[in-house]
Parts: sequence; structure tokens; C-alpha cells
Amino acid sequence: MTTAMRQPTLETLGLGGVLDLFRNGRLPADPAGLVDRVFGPAKARGSLVITGANGIVGAGKTMQLGSRLQPYDVRIVALDFPNAPDGIGAQYPGLEQAFGREGAARIMGNIIRLSYDGTHLPVELANLKPRFLLEAIPEILDVKRAHYAVFRKAFPDIEIRSVTSGFPSAELGVGIAHPAFPHQINKVWEVVEPEPSDVTRLLWALGLLPVPVSDHWSFVLDVLFCGITLAALRYHRARNMPFWKIDKFARKLVGPNPFRAHDAIGAKGANFLTWSCLHHLTEHYGELFRPTPELEAHKDSGQDWYPPNHFRPLVNWALDDTAADEFRTWMLGSVYQMTALMLHERRGHLSHLNAIGELCAQFRRGVLALMREDGPDGVRATVQRYHALHPEAASTAWYPDALHAMAAPEWQQLYVNAEHDGTVGVVTISRESYNRDVDAELNRAIDWLKAAKIDRVILTSDFHLSTQMVGADTAEFYPALEREDEGERIASTWSRTARRLNDEFAVSVAFVAGKRALGGMLELLMHCHYIVANDGASLGMPEVTLPVVPGMEGCHWPLRKAKPADRGKLLHLLLSGRAVTAGDAVGWLIDYAAPMSAALAMAWKIAADGKHGLVRRTVEAASIEVPDGVSGLPTGRSPEGEAGREAIMECIQQACAVPLTEALGVQARLSAAFMVSDACRSGAVGSDFAKTVLV
Amino acid sequence: MGNPPSIFPRARIPYGTWGSSYFPAWQTSPLAEVNIGQFAGEAMNRILGLRRVPASQLDYLVIGSTIPWHWKFWNAPLVASCLGNRVPGFHVEQACATGLQAILLAAAQVETKAHDTVGVLTFDRTSDSPVGVFPERRAHQRTVPIADVWDNFGFDPATGNAMITTAGIAARKYKIDRSEVDEIALLRHEQYFQAKQSGFLDRVLVPLEVLNLQGRPMGRIDDDVGVRKLTLESLRAMRELDTCVTGGTQTHASDGMASLLVTTPEQARALSPRPEIDIRFVGTTTVRTQPSLMPEAPALAVRKLLADTGLTMADIAVVKNHNPFAVNDAVFARVVDYDWKEMNKTGSSLVWGHPQGPTLTRLVIEALEEAVDLGGGHVLVFGCAAGDVGIAALLTVTEGA
Repeated sequence: MTTAMRQPTLETLGLGGVLDLFRNGRLPADPAGLVDRVFGPAKARGSLVITGANGIVGAGKTMQLGSRLQPYDVRIVALDFPNAPDGIGAQYPGLEQAFGREGAARIMGNIIRLSYDGTHLPVELANLKPRFLLEAIPEILDVKRAHYAVFRKAFPDIEIRSVTSGFPSAELGVGIAHPAFPHQINKVWEVVEPEPSDVTRLLWALGLLPVPVSDHWSFVLDVLFCGITLAALRYHRARNMPFWKIDKFARKLVGPNPFRAHDAIGAKGANFLTWSCLHHLTEHYGELFRPTPELEAHKDSGQDWYPPNHFRPLVNWALDDTAADEFRTWMLGSVYQMTALMLHERRGHLSHLNAIGELCAQFRRGVLALMREDGPDGVRATVQRYHALHPEAASTAWYPDALHAMAAPEWQQLYVNAEHDGTVGVVTISRESYNRDVDAELNRAIDWLKAAKIDRVILTSDFHLSTQMVGADTAEFYPALEREDEGERIASTWSRTARRLNDEFAVSVAFVAGKRALGGMLELLMHCHYIVANDGASLGMPEVTLPVVPGMEGCHWPLRKAKPADRGKLLHLLLSGRAVTAGDAVGWLIDYAAPMSAALAMAWKIAADGKHGLVRRTVEAASIEVPDGVSGLPTGRSPEGEAGREAIMECIQQACAVPLTEALGVQARLSAAFMVSDACRSGAVGSDFAKTVLV
Repeated sequence: MGNPPSIFPRARIPYGTWGSSYFPAWQTSPLAEVNIGQFAGEAMNRILGLRRVPASQLDYLVIGSTIPWHWKFWNAPLVASCLGNRVPGFHVEQACATGLQAILLAAAQVETKAHDTVGVLTFDRTSDSPVGVFPERRAHQRTVPIADVWDNFGFDPATGNAMITTAGIAARKYKIDRSEVDEIALLRHEQYFQAKQSGFLDRVLVPLEVLNLQGRPMGRIDDDVGVRKLTLESLRAMRELDTCVTGGTQTHASDGMASLLVTTPEQARALSPRPEIDIRFVGTTTVRTQPSLMPEAPALAVRKLLADTGLTMADIAVVKNHNPFAVNDAVFARVVDYDWKEMNKTGSSLVWGHPQGPTLTRLVIEALEEAVDLGGGHVLVFGCAAGDVGIAALLTVTEGA
């Protein structure tokens, strides 16, 4: 029997837990079988119809699903009005960039573009055997209902999903599959259906991220995104700050640029959608959501929020500490109250609610993670201060009781979960980049396993929200660019967490399930006794390209595990920034690479019974010799890049020249020292810092 | 003091909702390089934000400027867009009287109930003023280029004289002595620096940071750059350009903006951080004097306004004027029999420069702040304008009414 800290998010899709997946040695759903179930067997394969296919959503999803279903011979029927502007053609350059000319041609060759008048379906459509309709037409309830009736009359068994961002399934009479922007590449779909369906499982099997949410007016993403936009609008109305500057302070505070996002999506459509969402929310929940006159005006005019180029802003706006605190209250007070409402309504798995903000609405940290950091009293105080500024919001939709459970594992383990069967534990990370939240949650997960006397563990991603492990969240480094002690604290703390994987378990196995494991995440995985990877995964240490000096022992730990003859490869990995495929890294960086099922089985073997045939590579505790140079490094780097490479080399030499017991401190100190250098501040992290923090 | 009836009983200036930029001298700040209409709109929005007045409260905008600026054709509606509130409005221009005329016209909008809350936004950029090219078939040059500021200062087409010449003529008419004019100039500078040191100007002037095209700081407008610390000796040593006019006894060209609101009594109380302060319009007048006697015109306007309202100078708490030449103050003292030491106690445009459009707006704001410090009273603001014109207005500040 499997015990979990909290429910695995995979389970919300009806796909079981992560530990089962390792135990079974295979993924819980395969795309070919699900394509057969949704679109019929190969000999009688039906098609996917996307209506409103030339719109922003329709065209984006035609590309995304077209590219993923083409290998399974599922035809995509792109249906729209004859006079609709060509949204699909506009996608072609991006498709070509992603898949190459031949790949793009193949995908486009599988897309059949048809026109209709909105009421009469083209005769040709029947020959294409529509099995699944993805409706992406304008957000008008009656029009949508009539649209479904037309399809159901012609194709009674057709499965229908609406991409609506606002109308509940109960109003529409169909299921919801609400995708996030940008629609070509964002993998998240909020789904509303009574039980996890084959359609939803197919989305997962195709590498997308379906996220079940409850059937309420406006789904989680829209409450968060429209909510932060509304908060920004209210601040504008109270204090006059121009939209462009609010965006800068909002980005500094939480991450999103709500106004820029509207303009980037296309103000005309986005303004309407935001207004529509807030309008319906106001009807159901009251003043908390009422659109401001500015939004009404922009909805009617379709005007951009940013000034035109010839009126680029001239007068700057600053916030002193008091004003910044008030800004925070306007923004977070509103968003916290809206989130408490969603918690009250149990709109979804808490990790999902949190992740939607990060993956779809630009939040640097999910709203629940922010609330958790403030604590229930802090959140309540923020909302109460907000009510003092905007008393109308106090009268409706405020559910402070929803914060009571903040100490529960569902709140405390938003990003990291753990399961065990009494012998083997699995720790899953659902965030693609490592930050303070992941660090704290990972420690709690390890503690939980230790308390259950589990000393064999697999560390991996969650097979759901995290499809890759991209490294440290560089936003965490911003304070370290100004304070060396902060850099040292981050590097030391995170390294100590990583060492627990080596020190506190009899066997620890890192499993790379996704497309890549890079930087800080790879450093974390290195601390496990074994690394097993899906053979297509890329592994790399791109720090030198930023540049930063790896802080989680990447400059000595893998070198201590490698044979002396292989240390040159690790130097190249660290000093070039170039990734290697998992298959090429076996023996010197990782321990095993194979196709997914075999890799899963090997990881389980290592963790469960130890009869796996692999030799455990030990970490050399004494100082080690490393080459003082390596050939074949890329040339022509910037001065910052060269400085970064020199600093990494220096760190390698110094950290390897001391015993393991001292190496952590050496690496943390040198990593922190480089963080405050001009070279680091001139690089990518420094540039992001300047754009995000120095506003 | 007397209490004459108000010419605009429905109109009020809400205390503390105003603000002006500093006025850096011609060519000394980033303002020399920007679209001043855009700057003014954005600056007024910033000022209103700092004063906690939502820009959305405005329902009309009167703008005042005298020097053409890019896209001036689009006028107040364009500036309102830069301000962040797409209200209608119009543009007013009366040379150096522009600021005061704009305020009075805003009051008229409120008085007639055409609008309830009118923004007054005045601005000018004298730096690099545009060159207008005027095809004139009847002129022997055929096509006449005019660099707005300098060519206009140097030539009144109605008289053929320069501005500076009018100061010399007025000084001679009133037999003004150079030493008195130097003393006036010295006092005005001392008054300015005293006001600055006391923090008084911080209630009027708002530092503003200007951004370049990339959104990076281009400079801060946080000082009246160009104001010099003068001594009597240095003033006396200056070369006389015309009778009683030297580099130290005349103003200098500068750039800037100034803004305030005019609204109903109810709205004034709602918008002001000190609703107990009531600022009303008492009266106004404009006169035109004999050719090339411009410095005399404002004094004559004041004399007429006093007669119209039944007040005397003894009734006035604060006296403030636009004085491009120190001669103006000497002439005023003669015409209305007033001690020039008692006026312009926080400085004047003689000292901090003359961006034309906003000059009298800033003077009004300073005068009202001064009156509030005094606990209220009648406020007299006046000044000269191109064409030998003088404008004067009386306001009343009462507290706790």
C-alpha cells in the first residue's frame, strides 16, 4: 500500500501515483491507445475539428495539436468563416522554426482548412469523420450553444470541448478544455469534466498538462490573470500611475505584466475577454470583481494599454517605502481575496491552483506559495488593509476561513510530494526550477520519509506539471547580486539539502523523466547515489553562459564521482555550457540511460531490491586532481563569459583541492563572490535583475 | 478686509492639489529635448498622483502654452491622453498672461456648469523653440523664418520695439533709478533663496525624472537651474542693456510646467487634503497701455481691479507678480503707492525664470500657499504680457469657513 504526503497531481487525471509508475515500469497511459479510443482505430480514424480556427486560440491550438497528432494520422479540420483573417498562415513561420521545413510541411499537410457560415456545416466534413470538436469561437453563450447543436445534429456521437475561459460547463452543456496563452507553446489546459476522460488522458499522453478544475464561472487562470489586471487597474484609478509603470512594479512584486500581456495577446480580444470574465464574476460574486471604467473603455475601443512608440513614457514614477507597501496591498490584497474564494470553492488541487499562476499567468512564485509565506494572519491583514483602501470589496466574497488549513500538507507541499510503500520512497518535484519553496519542501519531504524509516528513495519530477528540470530559478539570485553573504547563504543552504540525498539514505536514485535536467537541478540530482535517465534527455551545466558559478557543488561533486580519465568531460560540460544527451553521459555523469520503460524499471530495481548490476560510483572524500584546462571550448565569448569561465575554473580547482568536508564552503564562497562581480551583473541574471528589480 | 462678491461664485481652487515642475533655464536640462506637451501631461498626472487626486476626477482640461510644440494641432485632447484621462479641452494662449488666463477660463467653465472639475495645465519649452517659416508674398523677403522665442522677444510688430526696450522706456517715464532696480533684484533673489531654504518651495515644486527613449533616466528636473546668487556689488557692476535693465535685473528663458485644478465647492472639499481651506475668485481685469510701455500695464490693471472691487492695497494679504524686469516692480510701486519690499515674498519670475505659459500659474500657486501660511486673505496676482498688456486677478483664501 502506498502512502503519500498529499495526493499526487497525476492521480487527479485518473493515472495513479508516481510510485506505481516506477513499480509498474511504464507510464500509465500511452498516446497510441488513447488516440484509438478518442479518434477510432487506425483504419477508421476520425478527425479533430477546431472551430474558430483562425482566431488566436484556435490557430495556436491547431498548431499545437496538429503537430502532436500528426504522427498518429489524426486529421485536423480547421473550420472558420470564409472572411476570417488568416490566423493559421501566420503561424507557419513559428512552425517551421520549431519543426523545420519538412516537419512543418508535414504538419500543415495534415490540416484541412474549411469554411462555413456558422449554421451549415460543409458537406466535406462528414467524409473526415469528426470525432472530437474543440470549439474556439467567440465568448457568446447563445452562439456557442447553437454551435454545439449544429454539430450534434450532424454528428450525434461527437465529443465536444470548449476553450472558453469563462462559461461553466453546466451553462454550455459541454466539457471544458481551457488552454493557456501563448497557445502554440503553453501546455497547460484547465479541464472541467465529471471524471477524468480519455480526452484528458490523451492530452497528458501527448506531453501536455491537463489540470482539472471545478465548474465555476471563470476558471482559475482567468481569476488570477484577470484578478491581477483588475488589481492593477484599481491601483491606477486610485493613484494615477500609468499602466506601463504599474507593470514594472507588478513584475517586481509578483511577476506578471498584466497590461503588456493584454497588448501582446492583442488588446482588442484580450480586453474583451478580461472584461467578460470580470463582468460574469461580478454578477456572481459582487464588487470584488467589478471592472473599472478604464477596462470598460478599453473593452469598447480595443485600444492598447501601452502608449504608442512615439509617446514612449517620459516622466518616471517612483515609490517610496510607504507607497510601495500600499501598492503591495492593492495588488496582493485583491489577489489574495480572490484566491481565498477559489480555495473556499475547492476549485482544484492546491498544487494546480498554485502552478497555474506560475505556468500561465507569469507569477514568479505561485499565489499559494506567496500566501503561505505570509501566513494566514499575514494574508488576512493584507486583505483587511486592502478593504480599507477599497471598501466595496469587503462586502462580498471574502472567505478568511479558507486559510485555516495552511499547515496541512496540501498547503505545505505545493511543489514537492513524497510517496512510499513502506520500503521505497519517491520524492517528486513539480517545479521546473529550484527555488526557496522547493528547497524547504524537499527538506520536509525527506524528513517525512525519514520519519517513516524509509532509507531507499527515488527523486524525480512529478510526471505532470514539470516536464523538464531547467535549473535554479535565477530570480532567487537577485538579492545575491547585491549582497555576497546572501549568495553564500543560498548556495550553502541548497547544497546542504542536496547532500541529504547522499548522506541520509541507504540508496538514492535520481530519475530524469523529462526533456532535460540542467544547472542547479542537475546538481541536486548528482547528489543521489545513482542517476537514471530517459535516454533522450539533455543534461547540462549552462551556468557559464549566464554567467554564474554553480553553487550546489557542481564544481567538485561530479568530479569526485568520476574516474580521473573522465574528469575532462566534466570540465568541458562545466566550461562550455553545452549539454550532452543522457546516452552519452553514462559512466561519467550518470549511471544508466534507456527508453522510458526500461529506465523506469531500472530505477525501481535500484531502489527496491538492489539487484541491478550497476556499480555505485562513490564520492571521493579527499582532495582530487583535476586537469587545469580542456580543449574544444567555444571561442568568441563576451568578456563577461570569459570572466565566468575563469571563475568556474577557479572554483573547480579550489573546491577539488580541499577535502569533501570543506568543499561545500569553498564552492558557496566562490559562487557568491562571483555573483557580486561586474561580470555577473552584466550578464543575463544581472540584466534580468535590472529589468525586474531596479524599476 | 473688504469682501467683494466673487466673479465665479461656483468655482474653487482645491488647496494642495497643485504643483509645478522646477523651471530650469533655457538649454540646461533634459526638458530642452522633449515634447513639452507630452511631458506636461505626464507630469500633471504624476503631480495629481502625489496629491492623491485621481486623474479620472477631471472632466475637462484647459491647457496653456505659447510656443509651438510637436503635434500641437491635437491640442488639449492629446495632452489629456498623455495625462491618462481622455477628457476634452482647449488651448489658450496670451503670451505671458497665459497661466492666469487659463485659470480664469477654467473657472468660467465651472461657473457656467459646462464642467465640474477642470484641470489647468500650462507649459512651455523655450529651449530650441521651433522655427516657423511663413510664406509672405507681400513681404520683400517673400518667406520669413521666425524662431519663436527670440524673434518675438526682439520685435513687437505693432511698435517695432523689443521687450527690453519697453522696460527702458517705462523706467525713463517713471524716472526710475538704476540703484533702486538693483536693490529690487537683490531682494527678489534673497526672497527666493529664503523660501527655498525654508522648504516653502517643496510644497509647490515637484522633482520629476525624465526618461529617454529606452526608458532609462535621462535626468532629474529638480532645481531652478540658472538662478544665480547675486550681490549688490555684482548687480551694480553689470552692463546696462537699456535704462535700468541689466542681465541681473531681467528674467531668463526657461522650460517647465505648472498645473492646478478648478472645481465646485463640494468637489474642492472632496479633493483637497485640507478641505477647510476655501479659495475663491474675486475679480480680474486686463488693460492695454500706451505703445512700448509694457511694464506699466500690470500696474494699471491692478489699479483698475482695485477700483472695480472696492479694495485697496491695504486689504491685500499677498502680492505676487510676473516681473520679467525689476523695473516692473518699481513702476508698480509708483503707480499704486506700494512698498515693493512687501511683495513677492517667496520669489518671482524675475529670479526663477520665464517659461511663459506656466509662469503665472506657478506664481498663483506660490501666492496661494503663502496666503495659507498667513491664515488667509486676499491674494493679488498680476503680470505683463506681449503687446503692452497687463493682467491682474484677485483671489481670496479663507480657512475654516
